[in-house]
Amino acid sequence: MNKNVLIVGGSLAAVLVLFLFLGLGKDPRRVQSPLVGRSAPAFALAQVGTGSPIALDGLKGKPVVVNFWATWCVPCHEENPLLLQTAAQLRDHVQFLGIVFEDEEDRILSFLRQNGSGYPTLMDDHGKTAIAYGVGGVPETFFIDANGTIVSKFEGALTSDAIGRELRKILPEGVIR
Amino acid sequence: MIRAAGVLVVILFSMAALADGETPVVSITTPDVERVVGPPRGERLAGEALEEKTHQVSAQLRCPVCQGLSVNDSPAPMAINMKNQVRDLLARGYDQQQIVDYFESSYGEFVRLSPALRGVNWLVWIAPLIALLVGGGVVWIAIGRMRAKPSEQLSSEGIEAAGIDRDRLPDDDALIPYVLRVRELAYGWPGGRMPSSPDASGEEPR
Repeated sequence: MNKNVLIVGGSLAAVLVLFLFLGLGKDPRRVQSPLVGRSAPAFALAQVGTGSPIALDGLKGKPVVVNFWATWCVPCHEENPLLLQTAAQLRDHVQFLGIVFEDEEDRILSFLRQNGSGYPTLMDDHGKTAIAYGVGGVPETFFIDANGTIVSKFEGALTSDAIGRELRKILPEGVIR
Repeated sequence: MIRAAGVLVVILFSMAALADGETPVVSITTPDVERVVGPPRGERLAGEALEEKTHQVSAQLRCPVCQGLSVNDSPAPMAINMKNQVRDLLARGYDQQQIVDYFESSYGEFVRLSPALRGVNWLVWIAPLIALLVGGGVVWIAIGRMRAKPSEQLSSEGIEAAGIDRDRLPDDDALIPYVLRVRELAYGWPGGRMPSSPDASGEEPR
């Protein structure tokens, strides 16, 4: 009996350890969103400052990077210079959009004045766009190809390696070396 | 003359209105729920019924930024936004299944506090039952064995057959009074000595 218990218990423990070990090898920031591979939820949101709307559908034909962020989010501050630099470098190839997550327009404007604004930042209406994109925290960045399909989602502050890797998925070959 | 002046004023106002019309009109649209879950299948709720159903549906959704809290219970802004959207969708006539499906389409199954009964999820529901049955079986067998063992131990024939001397005392003299006291309390032997034992007369066996 004791031997059998040991075998069964040992087998269950081994399976559990195997699952944990496999989980350890995964990057927790690379989350498989159910939206990946599907059409990006359409929106038309007002730009911070001007109030004029920008519609995602109006950008079809050009890859889009949608970055959800807030001024109270430290990792958002960290990735901001990289986003501005990349958006400027790839202006002709990809459209960057920022969407405000649980923040106030005044604070956003103040931040943009202080740190610069290289692409439109949009105010979300009661977080409905964030909900449609399954955003649970910021920063979260969606990479949408020219057909309007979400190709990948990245959680956390983007690094130059990460943004290069994700952009390669939505841009034609050769745009990023 | 007065009429002509009036017409002129109207024309000027119309031109001003047209000029205003040239500035871009902000038409904000949020992602279309109908594109994901189809047209509303339920009835439009309002008042108390709406609030009650909002609580009910929100209680089934997990707050994505909390630790195991439902959207209904969490005070986080994210949860409040989600709850407001649940209320909005119920008011527009979406039913409970459509609303849960909508949130699941963006957050994945994680957003359901109770996993749906499908695919591998069945294991989540069945595993506790199986564990309970297996555990119950193990306990049942263990109790059966425990019941069997004491009867063997208490049977005088068994003890004699095993050659156990219940009246034997320890070698350490300091322990003897305690052992006798325990036997007196446990077996009811007067003075802690077996009544039938020849040593009951007072001679201590070794």
